[in-house]
Amino acid sequence: MGPESNKVGHSAPPAHLSVRGIQKRFGGVHALRGVDFEVARGEVMALVGDNGAGKSTLMKVLAGAYVADEGQFFLDGANVSVNNPNDAADLGIQIVYQDLALCENLDVAANLSLGSEPVKPGWTILPRILRPLDDLEMEVKAKEAFDKLEVRTLQSVRAKVGGLSGGQRQAIAIARAVGADSTVVMLDEPTAALGVAQTRQVLEVVKRLRETNHAVVYISHNMRDIFDVADRICVLRHGGNVATYQRSDTTPDEIVVAMTRGRASEVNDAA
Amino acid sequence: MQPDGKISVLDRFRTMRETRIGSFAPVLLALAAIWAWFGLALPLWDLASGEADGFRAIFLSPRNIYNLFMQSALIATLAVGITTVLLLGEIDLSAAATAGVCAALLGVMVLAGVPGWLACLIVMAIGVVMGAAQGVLVAYIGIPSFVVTLAGLLGYQGLMQKILPTGNLNVGDPFVRGFTRVLIPDIWGLALGTLCILLFAYASLQKQARRRALGLEVDPPLALWGQVLAFGTIVIAVILTLNAYRSLPLLLVLLVGITTLLGWITTSTPFGRSLFAVGGNAESARRAGFNVNRIRVAAFGIVGLMAAIGGIFGASRFGSVSYTAFAGGSLLLEAIGAAVIGGTSLFGGRGSVWNAILGALVIGSLGNGLDLTGASAADKLMVSGAILILAVAIDALSRRDGSVGQ
Repeated sequence: MGPESNKVGHSAPPAHLSVRGIQKRFGGVHALRGVDFEVARGEVMALVGDNGAGKSTLMKVLAGAYVADEGQFFLDGANVSVNNPNDAADLGIQIVYQDLALCENLDVAANLSLGSEPVKPGWTILPRILRPLDDLEMEVKAKEAFDKLEVRTLQSVRAKVGGLSGGQRQAIAIARAVGADSTVVMLDEPTAALGVAQTRQVLEVVKRLRETNHAVVYISHNMRDIFDVADRICVLRHGGNVATYQRSDTTPDEIVVAMTRGRASEVNDAA
Repeated sequence: MQPDGKISVLDRFRTMRETRIGSFAPVLLALAAIWAWFGLALPLWDLASGEADGFRAIFLSPRNIYNLFMQSALIATLAVGITTVLLLGEIDLSAAATAGVCAALLGVMVLAGVPGWLACLIVMAIGVVMGAAQGVLVAYIGIPSFVVTLAGLLGYQGLMQKILPTGNLNVGDPFVRGFTRVLIPDIWGLALGTLCILLFAYASLQKQARRRALGLEVDPPLALWGQVLAFGTIVIAVILTLNAYRSLPLLLVLLVGITTLLGWITTSTPFGRSLFAVGGNAESARRAGFNVNRIRVAAFGIVGLMAAIGGIFGASRFGSVSYTAFAGGSLLLEAIGAAVIGGTSLFGGRGSVWNAILGALVIGSLGNGLDLTGASAADKLMVSGAILILAVAIDALSRRDGSVGQ
């Protein structure tokens, strides 16, 4: 991958998930024009760009919600194909959408197990959907997930999600993504609707994801959050790559310029 | 998240409704109020004003309670079915008409010499098909359930008239009539009740022990034993009251049995969880991997099944099938009213089949009590309407929780 060195930071760790030359068209709109992107384990990769830059499209391609017109997927160097959300989930790629997709009428444990509820052993005469739920196992799993992420703000996994704060909900959605044996977790604007204290809680969870050796893709508009959690920052503009910066080598101003006007200077990457 | 000491009455009410027992509280209170009014307040008033020469506890007499339960059983059967689609946030306006068609077919079949048990099985299958067909239209064609089932209501009403050109048919089949005529002997009724209580207590204790073993939060013992005690008191009181007049009728045992099964399916299986998930947030449920369309069809199939069972129960109780008793009467609105009064949300995702039974008792008690006091049909309709509005208002208020502590 030699010639990519100007796009990927000079001390880039080996990629866990990487995509090359992703093209996506919606009718006449050329949303992604040969985008390269990668993320390593134990790393938070921020994905930034102005509105319409292709962040969401790229993320949905990675999650299998859209199928790329062209382009290649690599997982730990092996060529893989992602044609639907199940393919992505099987490869351990999980996405936390901005709306979180939680059921407010269910409790925390039920939300964490949603779609993969544990059932009690035995009862094999019945089809799986009519076997008794193991709701205590659900609670145990939920507690383990929150312990792993060191979420301390939830008093009870039996609380209904409808009564919880935005930060707590975000933590639940992240815990659900992690609980599914995922290695890549993508977060779409996780702090957009949160206050200062709630944002800090969520950023702590994101840092904890890095410590647990997940590959984290973090989409945000908020430069302060990005410079708080990200290791590298990938800038998109008009459906193409601008550059990928090491956080330690760049400044918020430079990123903003890159987002709005493209590469401001070749100097930074060459250095 | 809540500013301390500033919990409003409404908030307290909402948090109370979130708990398991708390969800029963409003409808139990309503039931207690209605019973106190008709059973105590009105007789006392008559006594005080000299209209009666003694305390006449007609309403709370075992005989009336027995009739009340039997009257409410048909409403309850339909309400339990309707609850399953309400959980999805859908509605079924055709349940009573489906029950009518099934009852009419049952009558025609037993008249033609089909054995009663076979006829019952056939109409139950037909009920499932009638419900599921509407479910297919809702799920796969994407027509709002209100419209589909409104069309179903009209179509099935017509179908029932086609099957019963005279509008009336007597059903004398001993098997069908048996559902209401067979009584469980007093001692067996009590034994059955005791068994239920023991099972309930055993299951609760078992769960508590497993919670402790797994290191999960445990319910306070007071709450646990309170639940067992409340459950036991209600079961024994009901059975003793029924025994004091006749005995426990088979119909009620079947109704409770079916409701237990459906209650278990809706709360304790992946299918039931999917009902709540789709009702709470259909898009989340879809992304979580549930087949939302198939779940919708299944739920409508369950309403159809319950409607058919309701039809069988109705034919058994009345000894006849008539157009006005099912499709043409007030049964549909009473059943939906019962489900909603029980606390099942019209917006989906919240409710319980047990509450539907309590709601049916509320509706049944109102009708029965107003009949006893000689109220006109007009009064009954107006009072029922007021109660329904009150129940939906409570639902809307407790739903408007928004984001607590944003």
